[in-house]
Amino acid sequence: MIKLFNTVFILHVFYSLSAFATAENMPNMVHEKTLKNGLKVLVKEDRRAPVMVSQVWYKVGASYEHDGITGLSHVLEHMMFQGTDNLAPGEFSKIIAANGGRENAFTGADYTAYFQTMEASRLAVSMKLEAERMQRLNLQEKEFVKELQVVMEERRMRTEDKPQSQAYEYFKAIAYTSSPYRNPIIGWMQDLEDMKLQDLAAWYQQWYAPNNATLVVVGDVDAAEVFALAEQHFAAIPRVDFKPLKQRVEVPQLGLRRGIVRQTAKVPYLLMGYKVPVLNSQEDSDDIYALEVLSGILSGGQSARLAANLVRGSQVASSVSAGYDMNARLPTLFLFDGVPVEGGSVEHLETALLEQVALLQQKPVAQAELKRIKAQVIAASVYEKDSNFYQAMQLGLLETVGVGWQKSAEYVAKVQAVSVEQLQAVAKKYLIEDHLTVVYMLPNDKPQKTVESQEYADAQ
Amino acid sequence: MRSNHSLLTGLVLLLLSSAAVALPSIQHWRSAKGAEVYFVATEGLPIVDARLVFTAGSAYDAKQNGVAALTSALLDQGAAGQTTQQIAERLENVGAQLSTASSRDLTTLSFRSLSDEKALASSWAVLQQVLSQPDFPLTDFQREKERTLLSIKRREESPGVLAQLALYREIYGGHPYAKPVRGTSESVAMIERGDLRRFYQRYYVANNLKLILVGGISRQQAEQMVAELLADLPAGEKAMPIAEVAELAEGKNIHVEYPSQQTHLMYGLPVLKHNDADNYALYVGNHILGGSGFSSRIVKEIREERGLAYSAYSYFHPMLQKGPFLLGLQTRNEKLTEAAVAAKKTLLEFVEQGVSEEELVAAKKNISGGFALRLDSNKKLLASVASIVASGVELDYLDRYLDNIDAVSVANIQDAFRRRLVVDKMVMVTVGQIKGDTK
Repeated sequence: MIKLFNTVFILHVFYSLSAFATAENMPNMVHEKTLKNGLKVLVKEDRRAPVMVSQVWYKVGASYEHDGITGLSHVLEHMMFQGTDNLAPGEFSKIIAANGGRENAFTGADYTAYFQTMEASRLAVSMKLEAERMQRLNLQEKEFVKELQVVMEERRMRTEDKPQSQAYEYFKAIAYTSSPYRNPIIGWMQDLEDMKLQDLAAWYQQWYAPNNATLVVVGDVDAAEVFALAEQHFAAIPRVDFKPLKQRVEVPQLGLRRGIVRQTAKVPYLLMGYKVPVLNSQEDSDDIYALEVLSGILSGGQSARLAANLVRGSQVASSVSAGYDMNARLPTLFLFDGVPVEGGSVEHLETALLEQVALLQQKPVAQAELKRIKAQVIAASVYEKDSNFYQAMQLGLLETVGVGWQKSAEYVAKVQAVSVEQLQAVAKKYLIEDHLTVVYMLPNDKPQKTVESQEYADAQ
Repeated sequence: MRSNHSLLTGLVLLLLSSAAVALPSIQHWRSAKGAEVYFVATEGLPIVDARLVFTAGSAYDAKQNGVAALTSALLDQGAAGQTTQQIAERLENVGAQLSTASSRDLTTLSFRSLSDEKALASSWAVLQQVLSQPDFPLTDFQREKERTLLSIKRREESPGVLAQLALYREIYGGHPYAKPVRGTSESVAMIERGDLRRFYQRYYVANNLKLILVGGISRQQAEQMVAELLADLPAGEKAMPIAEVAELAEGKNIHVEYPSQQTHLMYGLPVLKHNDADNYALYVGNHILGGSGFSSRIVKEIREERGLAYSAYSYFHPMLQKGPFLLGLQTRNEKLTEAAVAAKKTLLEFVEQGVSEEELVAAKKNISGGFALRLDSNKKLLASVASIVASGVELDYLDRYLDNIDAVSVANIQDAFRRRLVVDKMVMVTVGQIKGDTK
């Protein structure tokens, strides 16, 4: 999934469900088993409807790539649908469709994941197919050449022709120095052009193995039966020896960074980000949960500060938000983005955002504000139980980034424990100018061609 | 994501049933002042979802294009003497969510809350005020108008949005569906606060409302809640039917030159109303043509065979009056001709030669086998019932759906497509850079 703010997406989606995994509420229990070859299997029984979702998560993604091979994980994800030793290109999808299923896959900075949602009785179908492509992918030149074109079209659609998305790409490249998060998940266009089938084959060999994967099943299933099925389909796949992953820790930022991105756009756009740690990067998690709540104080709903003070209030922003992905594998950015009002400017919006940051540092937030964020977190943790897919995603993600799925059980309690003093302390500690990157996206000076339409004769 | 956007919006009404699936029991009653109420009791989660559907979309804008959308955006921006901030706080203090949206036909309020007494009593009271006593404060009106104007300006940054707007403009001509839901910069600039109030008073009335409730509450509770919610909403009158859509006189190609790397292509014509006798044949047929992602012909031809696009699709979008059939894709500028020819050829062959028995069987398997997936959460149940209700089909729709799908034959599909998809009257819109230097 390559979204402008997949970070923000994750933030809103992954409120823990596990505060409810108590003895009196057993259905929310997570069952775990690791096969001898290292495949981890997680199961959550949810009997509300006769359906299930099955997801296979691999510990590989854009942040595992180095310069020159960016986009490789994502292209490989595409190729996973293009044939195996026993399946013709496209046959995987055809079988799932014939079984009434829906399927897809997504690649992030820290993961590559595949999923099927189906009637619960079809679980074996999905397992058999996933086991097949975990070990017997048949990478063919013809399919590769075509699929690479598809991915380039995807990049043009998502990035080249979307001014704000492209600005975000440059923003990350300016903000990060040695962290792999500086590269786009979909890859730079030049790297896509240079990509070879052998690169994919090597990448597949290196990362696609049971001991680098997590299978998550949520729905109308019996955990013991899921484990038995997993044993049957995956147990024979050999494990692979992994070299330890290079750490590639971001070097300390030693001062404010700024950039300008000029685009064929109509409206300017502002991006700001402070370097911050994540759950996976440090032992003591108190600061992390405080940062999480801080993003809620700023941006958690229509009553939160940015909407209240900048969209309403001073009206410097037409839209503005803050986001923080505490579940990233590596230290990340505490982000702000916004569009100034007509007649306003990105400079004014930046000043207003910095004032909001200063306010958090100087004055404790009101207890009522904090209470409101906590109430939303609790409600969200109930709402998300309405979706098997998100329940599975949360488990798969936490496991894959190295945090461990068990952490989901702590989420609500940890958020509940955050105090106004902690919020002020993390604002002072992390939201500092030396660790800030600011990018203005500005409409091109060149007068843009006015849109004219004209009728023409048939091309055929 | 490897997704191929198979845009099934509007076809949600086409739900399915299968033996294994417990069909929701939809309870129906009429409120004292005439609102149609639909209720599904669910178990397992302490959540209440509500959706209020008014026949009050942009088709009712008349000369003030954008007024329906702006009215709905203002509802929760000041009501019953409370400020936007107070309203938001009262909802968010208990974790409740409220949003509004307008389409060409409808305006919808979507509400979600925990069902415990404290949360629900408080959030439901806010919904009641937003619904019955919006204040349309001047400051909020001016701000939301400015924000709408900016979002209209931002449309010019998206070749895909421009293509869709251009297509609707062409295929609907003088019909209200031709206009953008949010309006144009010219039309929105003319809207005044009083216009919103007038629009609100005319269309936000019980007789023009369908209310759907889904959640962990009893029928008795639901009735009580509905009575409270609608106590102050006047009975009013149903919206007048939207004018019929005229037949397109002739096919056209329209190009809009735009400095993008890809050209967005949309190809379509008005075809289908809700509850049309051809709905099933066209739905199943389109599943094979371009509605089922990787199994569909358009994706095979455009993406899998030729690598021309990331997303290629077709869909029927039934509306109160004839909604469009749309085929869409986007490809690098220099490949436009190849993609356009391939898309047209695929469509023509489909209309002329129809589908094979094998394709039909596969489509039915996918549709019926996936039935349970469409009703597997409160949110999806709500959306399904809302579609059934908005499209005006019978409430036993779900019970009969699988039989109706199963009854579709190869001959039905060919007959329906030949009669309804008149290819030489279709309009093709392209937005991209085909004149200047392309890479």
